[in-house]
Amino acid sequence: MSDVVLPLLVALPIMISVLPLIFGLKYENAGWPIAMGGSLTVLALAVYTITEVAANGRLIHALGNYPQPYGIELVGDELSTLIVLLIGLVSVLVLVYSRTRGPYGNAFHSGYLLLTGGLLGVVLTGDLFNLFVFLEITGLVTYALVASDRSGKSAYAALKYVFLGTIGASLYLIGVGYLYVATGTLNMRDLQGAIETVGYTDPLIQAAFGFILVGFALKVALFPLHTWQPDAYAYAPDSVSAYISALVSTAAAYALIRISFDVFTVEFFLVNDLISTAIMAAASVSIVVGSLLALMQTEIKRMFAYSSVAQFGMIVAAIAVANETAVFGAIIHLFGHGLMKAGLFMAAGILAAVYGARTIDEYAGLANRSPFTAASIAVIGIALIGIPPSIGFLGKWFIGLGAVEAGEWGVAFVIFVSTMLTLAYVFRIIEKLYFDPPGDPHGHGSDHDHEHEHDGAATDGGHELVADTSAVTVGMVVMVVSITIAVVALGFSWELFFDLLAPVLERFFQ
Amino acid sequence: MTEVIDIRPLAAILVSLIATGLIIASYKYPNVREGWSILAAVTKFGIVASMFPGVMNGTVYVSNIGTILPGVDFVLRADPLGMLFATLASLLWVITSFYCIGYMRGLNEHGQTRFFASFAASVSAAIGIAFSGNLVTIFIFYELLSVATYPLVAHDETAEARAAGRKYLGYTFFGGGVLVLAGTALVYWIAGTTDFTAGGITALATADPLVAQITFIILAIGFGVKAGLMPLHQWLPVAMVAPTPVSGLLHAVAVVKSGAFGVARVVLDVFGPEFLYTLGMGLVISTIAAITLTAASLIAIRKDHLKQRLAYSTVSQLSYIVLGLGLFGWYGLVGALLHIPAHAFMKLTLFFCAGAIHVETHTDYISQMAGIGKRMPVTLGAFTIAAAGMAGIPLLAGFVSKYYMLIGGIQMGAELTPIAYYLVGALLLSGVLNIVYFWPVVYTAFFEAEDKHDAKPLVDFKLGGETRSVLPAADGGNDRSPRTDGGKPDGDGNDAELTGVVEPDVDPEEIEYEDSEFDDSNIAARLNPSDHTTPSHNNEEHTGDDTHAHDDHDDTESHDEHHHHGGPPAGGWEHIHGRDLWLGKETTWFMLGPILAAVTGALLIGTIPYSVGFLELIEVIVEGAGVSRP
Repeated sequence: MSDVVLPLLVALPIMISVLPLIFGLKYENAGWPIAMGGSLTVLALAVYTITEVAANGRLIHALGNYPQPYGIELVGDELSTLIVLLIGLVSVLVLVYSRTRGPYGNAFHSGYLLLTGGLLGVVLTGDLFNLFVFLEITGLVTYALVASDRSGKSAYAALKYVFLGTIGASLYLIGVGYLYVATGTLNMRDLQGAIETVGYTDPLIQAAFGFILVGFALKVALFPLHTWQPDAYAYAPDSVSAYISALVSTAAAYALIRISFDVFTVEFFLVNDLISTAIMAAASVSIVVGSLLALMQTEIKRMFAYSSVAQFGMIVAAIAVANETAVFGAIIHLFGHGLMKAGLFMAAGILAAVYGARTIDEYAGLANRSPFTAASIAVIGIALIGIPPSIGFLGKWFIGLGAVEAGEWGVAFVIFVSTMLTLAYVFRIIEKLYFDPPGDPHGHGSDHDHEHEHDGAATDGGHELVADTSAVTVGMVVMVVSITIAVVALGFSWELFFDLLAPVLERFFQ
Repeated sequence: MTEVIDIRPLAAILVSLIATGLIIASYKYPNVREGWSILAAVTKFGIVASMFPGVMNGTVYVSNIGTILPGVDFVLRADPLGMLFATLASLLWVITSFYCIGYMRGLNEHGQTRFFASFAASVSAAIGIAFSGNLVTIFIFYELLSVATYPLVAHDETAEARAAGRKYLGYTFFGGGVLVLAGTALVYWIAGTTDFTAGGITALATADPLVAQITFIILAIGFGVKAGLMPLHQWLPVAMVAPTPVSGLLHAVAVVKSGAFGVARVVLDVFGPEFLYTLGMGLVISTIAAITLTAASLIAIRKDHLKQRLAYSTVSQLSYIVLGLGLFGWYGLVGALLHIPAHAFMKLTLFFCAGAIHVETHTDYISQMAGIGKRMPVTLGAFTIAAAGMAGIPLLAGFVSKYYMLIGGIQMGAELTPIAYYLVGALLLSGVLNIVYFWPVVYTAFFEAEDKHDAKPLVDFKLGGETRSVLPAADGGNDRSPRTDGGKPDGDGNDAELTGVVEPDVDPEEIEYEDSEFDDSNIAARLNPSDHTTPSHNNEEHTGDDTHAHDDHDDTESHDEHHHHGGPPAGGWEHIHGRDLWLGKETTWFMLGPILAAVTGALLIGTIPYSVGFLELIEVIVEGAGVSRP
């Protein structure tokens, strides 16, 4: 079987995505079962692929049997299959979640599968232009899914995302164009040697990297190119937010890692000091500003969106540090952050469904009524801060250690201080959930409104906590809790990651 | 030192983690729930104590859970220094769990399940810190301790408590999450390992001195935040808004001691005393500690709120430990390490007394405690003994540790550098200051009466003094007198005319205080007055949830910022004497028992330090660190 699984992984979801629309002509609710079947198949294939690759090394498949450098290759090495596994996992989890939470409709499920296929294509492709194609497929479907609840706000957010996302992809394309002009090939494996021949200081190569970097920075939502993200995450339906926050920027960051170290190689960073320093500076600013902006938000989903800006800042900083420990940390953090954000958005969606709580003030005292969901938010938040044992700590430790090893004291300082920044907004939520009396918009606690709360009916202006428990099933909470457990359990798993990624890192860093 | 693989270090930690789950599960049955706490405490102490003889003889019990990072195992080692802290924490938790029951039920507190569960988790983390075998493991438990103690600090759920919780988290995460993590990464980078090695990690000794100095400073300050080193001590007085058992065990014993313990680990097992001395860092931390010592004592003198006074006293006493650790030599180190258990017993006694006073009489301010010795003789007696120990009076724990440190300081001064003499001077001065701020409490409790007591100049009067006139004034009083409308019941201020002296008249109910640092209108005591002070004596069984306690108090509060409740009831304090005294009628045995146990511990350490095991263990620790007995 071996490398045939790679095109299967990409083609299957895309082909299956047509089925909900076709079956939808006859059956009303054909979408979810088909999407579920497709996602489970993808997950099964992903598990198979990663075990295969871990045992026997990377898989390479030439599409249509056209050899490189003319044909398009699909490459599954340990890094890509790790992200493939993440994609498979998250798509199944969010799909279970969305069964009750919505959105519903055959068109949505069709788009869901298409998005999965597009992401898998981004991750598995070995050709730069092919990457652009899948990036665009991903982007277009994401724009549609963001707007899928048909409200005005989400349409606006999607429109913003369309503009900025297309600009990002176009910048990436320009960069690819320059590379093609300079080297004559688009295949990633070929380009490694070709760029070396042309020379790392060649202005065309540097310009190409610059454009590719900025294009991805926009897709990854680094400050100041992040402006589409808060709106898109906040106004999209909750399931869609969970999915895209976990996977879309992750795939873009993966592509950045791949291109930086497989195409341009670490030599490029060593030779071009200015580029490394510039990226580190921009990423550090992103970390600080993202956290500060998150702290200032009142809407929960926007807070999480700005948190992503900060977390991806850490990942990009690690890429710029460009040593083995830091990149190892970046990959772990990529995986971990995907899981953590999916869990956080799903939990936020549960609280929104049951209590209509979307702002931080509306979260007051909800821990009493939704202990499991609140505990999950608390634990995942604590993992995000970087408290051991958790996968958040692992990622942060290796990135910080990598910065220290490389002598990049500025980045190291920012990474260690980011603990405080993340702490600030995470504990704001936790404090509100656990230590504010319920239905208390301003947190004045036990002075004025206090007596009223215990009667159960707010008499004057206090919020009446109406709980719509039918909007949420046990399954949804189980999804969230299982992600929480995974996030903590993976805190002990550095060896697993190391064994898996060692060949890749060796190749990157010789 | 032989290493033996043993499950007991891990078991000691897991016992109370399991108890946490059981406590949450039995939230409907308060007695069962409290039973879990006590059972866990006793079991934990049993496990720890069972390792004590072996550790004294040189065995080190190791539980290796697995590798958490390359080159770093998640390993628990019960070595002598770890045993010191673990024994202390587990023993005191046994005592405190009884006290908690008395306190929480006496005040009919809300959220008791969360309280007891968080308490169990916190002690678990503290034992984890004690038994950590390397910097990464201690970092993990250090952070978990902050997370577990946060619900205890913010327990009251008032705006004040939440603000205190935020400040607490901010400081401890800055110290732990930022500084300790950075320091750990630096050590790992320099030495390739973060394992605690008795006498110091050898690879560090060959590193670049500047880098080693910076790493040490980062680590020392990181742990020092929790140990209350100035100027990062601000969280400690603010955290006094928590219930008293929390203040007692955690903030005077477990949390702050874990900070001091962390510094001890860094000094003894990461860098090593000799290397630190050559780096010149020992003197640096000793100086910071000496400054903290003195400044905190001076601030404590001005505090009228008893718990605040005790908080600053803690800040001051913790610096004794850090001071001793910076002194190079056998005596200094022994004194510093002995002060860990010594101070723990004494401070715990003091806090327990303060809590008992609060529960029984609702009095928090020293100015209202005149004559309270009649009402709570045993409690105040224990307070007196513990306070004497803090000042370093012989026969009590504080004297032994201080004596060692004084000798250590003088020895360092004679052999190495005369700066040490100043440190000795600070220690002596602080002993005097201790008396200055503890004596008024004892004096006012036993030697004054409710209707006849003096102002305490250092507390009540303005800094810099005030002007008065001895000439008779037309309006019968100096209008810049701090007392506005208070007056002796029979006087109208004309005494100035007759005697030429304006006598201070203090009527506690009418004094306007400006204790703006500590707004107490929202603390649990105000909102949940003790049942016995209201006529309707309803002793409902507390189901561990929130509602009941809040109902009683609605209209008895005036929400006036400076209106202090507490103080003697209308007819003066009830006098407990004779048979009632010996039966412990002044308060419940749940609280009295632990008080007596703690003060007995302080006495035992003061009189037979070897026999109770602490001093011998400490000598083993210091010898193991490579400092030989002179």
